[in-house]
Amino acid sequence: MSESARSEIFAKLRTASRGGSAEAIDRERQCLQSAPAPMPPATEVCEAFLINVLKNRGSIDCAAGRGETVKAVAQYLYQYFRSHRLVAGNDPRLAAMPWRDAGVLPRFGGIETGEPVALSFAHLAVAETGAIVTYTGKANPAANNLLPEHQIVLVDRNDLVATQEQAWTRINQDMEKRGRPRGINFIAGPSSTADIEGQLVYGAHGPSSWHIILLGDTPADILARAHSAVT
Amino acid sequence: MEQRSNTFLDNASEALKNTGQAKRRDSMARLTPLLRSAAIEDAGDFESLRQQMKQVRQHSLDNLAHYLTQFEQEAVHNGNRMHFARDAEELNSIVLDICQQHDARRVVKGKSMVTEETGLNSFLQRAGLDVMETDLGEYIIQQAVETPSHIVTPALHKSAEEVRELFKDKHDLGPRALEDTTDMVAEARQVLREHFLKAEVGIIGANALIAENGYSMLVTNEGNGDLCANLPKTLIVCTTIDRILPRAEDATAMLRLLARSATGQSQTAYTSFYSGPSRDGDVDGPQETHIVLLDNARSEMLTGDYREMLECIRCGACLNHCPIFASVGGHAYGWVYPGPMGSVLTPLLTSLEQSNALPNACTSCGRCAEVCPADIPLPDLLRDLRHEETLEKLSPSRWRLGLKLHAWVSQQPWLYRALTATIIPLLHLMGRRRGSFTRLPFASGWTNERNFPAPQKKTFMQLYKAGMKKPNE
Ligand code: SF4
Repeated sequence: MSESARSEIFAKLRTASRGGSAEAIDRERQCLQSAPAPMPPATEVCEAFLINVLKNRGSIDCAAGRGETVKAVAQYLYQYFRSHRLVAGNDPRLAAMPWRDAGVLPRFGGIETGEPVALSFAHLAVAETGAIVTYTGKANPAANNLLPEHQIVLVDRNDLVATQEQAWTRINQDMEKRGRPRGINFIAGPSSTADIEGQLVYGAHGPSSWHIILLGDTPADILARAHSAVT
Repeated sequence: MEQRSNTFLDNASEALKNTGQAKRRDSMARLTPLLRSAAIEDAGDFESLRQQMKQVRQHSLDNLAHYLTQFEQEAVHNGNRMHFARDAEELNSIVLDICQQHDARRVVKGKSMVTEETGLNSFLQRAGLDVMETDLGEYIIQQAVETPSHIVTPALHKSAEEVRELFKDKHDLGPRALEDTTDMVAEARQVLREHFLKAEVGIIGANALIAENGYSMLVTNEGNGDLCANLPKTLIVCTTIDRILPRAEDATAMLRLLARSATGQSQTAYTSFYSGPSRDGDVDGPQETHIVLLDNARSEMLTGDYREMLECIRCGACLNHCPIFASVGGHAYGWVYPGPMGSVLTPLLTSLEQSNALPNACTSCGRCAEVCPADIPLPDLLRDLRHEETLEKLSPSRWRLGLKLHAWVSQQPWLYRALTATIIPLLHLMGRRRGSFTRLPFASGWTNERNFPAPQKKTFMQLYKAGMKKPNE
């Protein structure tokens, strides 16, 4: 059935399509304008990213070095769970963190029932949308994005791009080097729904809290600036 | 789904009797346009964005055979099995076959209007499968045994109170009271989490298919679609052949407009691209992935007069801005797709005969075309469908006779002017005191609902001629 359906559908599409060589079609595609990106909320890309994370109802923090990063994670865990445990993907960047210095006890692997917090390291992040990008795989199992109540995501300042187009340039380069990942996930905020009378509720199926920690050198007052731009 | 589009007027009267729902629709119709316009303003230049998206969509449709071939090659290369379905029945049986091959009993589904169109759920359920909708709105209406009333928020017609009663009835709540919406969402989350973890097959739709790399794109806020795509061992993506975009970055223009137009967000929480089954070393993900591409009249639309309708990105903005939709709600349209987009699509996907009432459910106000991010001239398409309706003699003969008479008189200027010059002053005289009529012969269709304003003393042509003479006087 499927084979005859396939040829019938393609026959109809060929009649309806304009024809022309693959090169000609590609040339025509190249000539299309690109979509204008919206004006960023701040000129500095880190600030624009953090503002958009806040607009997406995420929470934000910054950490200059690895010591500060583990401390920031520990603080978050203690604040919400009075615990030092979390689950994290087998990402070498995460494995190399000095967790013991801050008393954090990560378990590396895929999330299991009952684990409330997962930690991910973003491949990249997009200032335009306040989104982080992860690839599914050992370093970041898909379920770690979706099943915890809280997701903490580390973003290296150097992996931050301004627009969605720039994000795709990076992703395409990664794919050329390492092949296509099964899933590419842009995440921009906690899971939400407005399906009951239009009232917005967080934690529909995925995390109800989404916490971003930006790593690297950033201006000292960047958190305050981002918060004041949103309130 | 049984179609009731041609009883639109009766459905509409019925809908208006439910004052609770009418009130909620009214407040949504005030709120959603405000949210959209704030988000669109923030997007920058709406007009260039939508023109860019239009160009990309047109280019993709112009070369659909090329891009679909490319997509198929890449998707197979990524490890997917591809299936093509000419119509609803074929899609349903392909999906059932896959489920049966895996001895699957439990299926979880993400929101998909395409599978609403094919009636997949009831088909699978009749074959003994346990099919669970996981988008909260879809879950609610599935439990209530109802159909979606909106393409983006399918349970728009339900009040929180109704949802609470429904959950009390269907779930084992114990002492839990489900006091507010947050409690109800948490309840559904808990129940559905069990289903996600047990299901053998996940079914999702796709907002776009990327030709250059064979990925399918899924846009959601809840994350339920992603759970369907990642937890069960078998994944089936069901969508239509027209969803193709040449490159991943072409999705950008769509993404800049979709959520802004739909819910007033700058983007949704989850935008995911899936290429196929689990890779070596992956800790999760499906072992087997299938992509089922449905035609169901799309290839005919491609060569027909309503081709632009294939550019629709299913944002729902035209519904949210339509005064008819706001008054009568989605169920009155009697099939899967309501509002302006539904009034165009339904006759094309079913038949004009079965749904000729829908293109008439339009005041020609033009708001839908103004807000449509795909720049689809919806009022023009609706007018063309009404024209076809008349040509095919589907409208009542009284209407057609009236229209013919009107057309003939309008083509005889001397007669038209003579008639209006007699009738207008007469009506003016008769209605002078009250300023309007509560009853008029041959116009009960109007006066049964509202008063007919008494006209000015003179006709337009009389005033115009008088104006023309003035400078020479
Ligand atoms: S017709 Fe336009 S406004 Fe309506 S759903 Fe489609 S894209 Fe959105």
